[in-house]
Amino acid sequence: MSEGSTQDQPINSLGVLLAHALAMETDAADRYGELADQMEMHRKKGVAGIFRRLQNAEQKHLAELEELTAEMDLPHIAPWDFKWGGESPEAIAVGRVSYHMSVKGAVLLALDHEKQAYEFYRRIANQTSDSEVRRLARQFADEELQHVAWLEEWRDKCGPDDEKPLDDPDPPLSQE
Amino acid sequence: MESCAQKKTYKAKDYKSELKPIWCPGCGDYTVLNSITRALAELGLPPEEVAVVSGIGCSSRIPAYTSVYGFHGVHGRALPVATGLKLARPDLTVLVTGGDGDGFSIGGNHFLHACRRNVDLTYIVMDNQVYGMTKGQASPTTAPDWEGSKLTPDGTGINPFQPLVVGLASGANFIARVSASDPINMAKIIVEAIQHPGFSLVQVLSPCVTFRPEQQEWRDIVRTAVVDYTDDAARAARRLMTDDGFNVGKVLYKGSRPPFRPEFEHTDGSVAELEARFAL
Amino acid sequence: MTVKSVSLVIAGSGGAGVVTAGSLLLEAAAQAGWYALMSRSSGPQIRGGEAAAMLRFATEPVMSHDDSFHLLMAIDWENINRFSAEIPLVAESLIVGDPAHGDAPAALLSGKPRQAALPMVALAERIENGRPNMVALGAIAAMIGLPPEAMQAVVERNLKRKGQAAIDASMAAFHAGIAAAVDLPAIPKLPAVAAAANPRWSITGNEATGLGVIRGGVRFVAAYPITPATEVLEWLAPSLAKVGGMLVQAEDELASINQIIGASYGGVPAMTATSGPGLSLMIESLGLAVAAEVPLVVVDVMRVGPSTGIATKSEQSDLNIAVYGLHGDAPHVVVAANSVADCLFTTQWAVHLAEAMQVPTLVLTDQAMGQARAIVPKPAELAFIGQRLTAPAAVEGQRYKRYAVTASGVSPMAIPGTPGLTHTADGLEHNEFGTPSSQASDHQAQMDKRQRKISQFNYGDHWADIEDSEVGAGDTAIITWGSATGPAREALQRYSAAGGKARLLSLRLIAPVQPEKMAEALRGIERAVVVEQSHSGQFYRMLRAFYDLPAKTVSLHQGGPLPFGPQQILDQLNQLNAGSA
Repeated sequence: MSEGSTQDQPINSLGVLLAHALAMETDAADRYGELADQMEMHRKKGVAGIFRRLQNAEQKHLAELEELTAEMDLPHIAPWDFKWGGESPEAIAVGRVSYHMSVKGAVLLALDHEKQAYEFYRRIANQTSDSEVRRLARQFADEELQHVAWLEEWRDKCGPDDEKPLDDPDPPLSQE
Repeated sequence: MESCAQKKTYKAKDYKSELKPIWCPGCGDYTVLNSITRALAELGLPPEEVAVVSGIGCSSRIPAYTSVYGFHGVHGRALPVATGLKLARPDLTVLVTGGDGDGFSIGGNHFLHACRRNVDLTYIVMDNQVYGMTKGQASPTTAPDWEGSKLTPDGTGINPFQPLVVGLASGANFIARVSASDPINMAKIIVEAIQHPGFSLVQVLSPCVTFRPEQQEWRDIVRTAVVDYTDDAARAARRLMTDDGFNVGKVLYKGSRPPFRPEFEHTDGSVAELEARFAL
Repeated sequence: MTVKSVSLVIAGSGGAGVVTAGSLLLEAAAQAGWYALMSRSSGPQIRGGEAAAMLRFATEPVMSHDDSFHLLMAIDWENINRFSAEIPLVAESLIVGDPAHGDAPAALLSGKPRQAALPMVALAERIENGRPNMVALGAIAAMIGLPPEAMQAVVERNLKRKGQAAIDASMAAFHAGIAAAVDLPAIPKLPAVAAAANPRWSITGNEATGLGVIRGGVRFVAAYPITPATEVLEWLAPSLAKVGGMLVQAEDELASINQIIGASYGGVPAMTATSGPGLSLMIESLGLAVAAEVPLVVVDVMRVGPSTGIATKSEQSDLNIAVYGLHGDAPHVVVAANSVADCLFTTQWAVHLAEAMQVPTLVLTDQAMGQARAIVPKPAELAFIGQRLTAPAAVEGQRYKRYAVTASGVSPMAIPGTPGLTHTADGLEHNEFGTPSSQASDHQAQMDKRQRKISQFNYGDHWADIEDSEVGAGDTAIITWGSATGPAREALQRYSAAGGKARLLSLRLIAPVQPEKMAEALRGIERAVVVEQSHSGQFYRMLRAFYDLPAKTVSLHQGGPLPFGPQQILDQLNQLNAGSA
């Protein structure tokens, strides 16, 4: 759907890579937080719990990155100029979640995006001509792989209750 | 296009309030809120110099979810509130947010005249073809054969309102359609809409997951418009004549009409002159 | 009658130029040092219809039209019957008509007025470019004692652009009229007055309304044209531009009210002017201004209702909608002007009230005062300037509360642009921060504060005009409001001149009600007549609902468009006291 003009381009500078990493982790932390808020607002505690834990994990990730880049003068990149096209790969699209989604559905959706994040860093590592970028991109990819591993673990732990879509016997309400 | 030219001091999050939205999970309006805050961050506008004005409806809740100045008025009247605010305070960046019912039904007359008047506003309409706040009735943009509401069990039987056609015919100076499924592109277009002088209309296809769940398929139906914007209204009109409503992601039209702006110079001190005309 | 005055009507159809003649006469009277009141009445045509200019001149300020007219100067008789009810003629009255147009219609003769002829057409024809209306003015001037020099100055001023020949032709016709007046029967004459002795203004109620809001600080107006409020807007548009403000012509009244809400939210004092039909459309958004606490002023120049009613005529029948029209419990302020000149005071005060309390304030005027032009004593300078309690800066560590519950009920308002105080103003019920809330406690706290701010406000003595007859108040009162005050004032003067004692109470503050002040004003009053121009007695019913009225209180109410005559009210006073004697 997106114009996609940027998504296959390589990254050959450390600053640009870090700007991407910062944006991706910020988006991921914000989005998981936002989704957790949404689910809490709608009293979907199980799904909210998944997103909240992921938010916390991403915030930790983000804090490390911020510490790493604190003294650096990173380039500003407009949201539409990142090398991934569209939203950052780790951020779940808001339109993909649902009031009815099951715990397992949330885990699978997060897993999908963590994998996309991993794929992004892997691509950058493979494409870059800069050895430092390659080293760091591989490191980031490995970190994403950790999240993938956790989520796969959670997925496998899901019982039959976690697979049921959340039902609501009451009809929607009139508000205004 | 990576540039360090402008020091960015704001993040998208800086434009969000502490208040948590009441929208259903999956609602397109979350995306619009994100795109607006992204756009404001990209423009680097201090929050106190921005105002978001709305009427009534799900999407009209946006002002309170932002950290800028907000005004949440009555149903259908967001555009006149914003018009008064912008004319009185041209230094502010004024956005108007709302839905298809608020903008095109109860507020339809204001929509026509806001386009005509061409005050420097950015109007972001979240079109989901349904009234969400009142449990899912047909809106002006609903297809005539939609039978999902108890109010119109056999469909409305009337043709949907064409916001972009009407906007163009009425004189909107910037017209675009975007999809909630592409928030980054939406942010980019909102930036352009804000930067373009005069009245900018941005229609967002923003699915209602609760009352129009089938709209979740929009993300797969929409397509990026093949041609770039035109500054020729006639050409834009011809494109709209063959448009099925799912061409998104690009600006359709950019006009060059100067924004409406009556004299408003602060030159206090001549009330006495006015009075003198009554003296005998 | 204590006011020595002369009342006359100039009537005629399209092309007769009666409105122009009336205006020239008013200006000349001003030149001569007199006071005056001029109203107009006209047919339904946009142009060329029959029209009548009703004028009253006096050497003291004129409050009202008289009960009847001394003179009807009919340039022709075209459709003049339509005005017969508005032109009461009695035996002392004189009808002057032109033999060229035949006899006076019977409808004008029921009061058996005297009749005389003035060949206006024939006299005008003898002068190149002479016009019958100038002949009429000459005759009128001679009959009422207006010095010809006064008219000379006015004609020169008005016809300057048309050149000396036009001035000469007009003055020749005018002098022909003076000469012809020698043969006409007498009507009362006014003495000449030294003009410089009394600083006076010539102003209409609608102009005074415009000036009042500008004086009060209004710099943004959005409005939709509507009779009889349009002249407020026509005066304001160029005038606002001169003082750094602006007027926007909106697409409808829904837009007008919401545009001014937007402008006022932006920190610029704002108003709109309309009439009943427009006010009806604005009501929902007035409720928004109450809830969101946005100061603004809405002037309703009342006309005959309901619906389109009689757009060009006056009535005091929008009191109910102004006071009770809003849904929910929506405390707001309603004030009413009670004369042409008071439109200035009351609207300026209204801006002050609106801004000080952050509340929508309605001003009721009406067609009778709005479209009337009067020569009045120069209005006093007023200290009222809209002053809004604003929140100047963010307090570190404290989240701004737009709707903070305060002792006064007024919360400091953050104007957009102020850092650290961003918030969303909301028509949804909200908590102190402005966050939408459906909690009973928030609703209670916010309702209390919105009520408190207008209940506790000190309105001073301006809530009503209270006037006693020369020898004191006695035990009788006239309670009235708006333009019924003019004839009521004159009734009081006549009652007083005949040795009667009474008190006039003209309420300027309609809402919120002031029971304590009213109780004080009514101390010792045993009888009262309530006077208003409303078919259903809206004002009387409101007084009954909120005030302790004297046991013997009668209601004198009638719908528009005919105004009260002073005698009508005087009769009621006499009857009230005769009944009790």
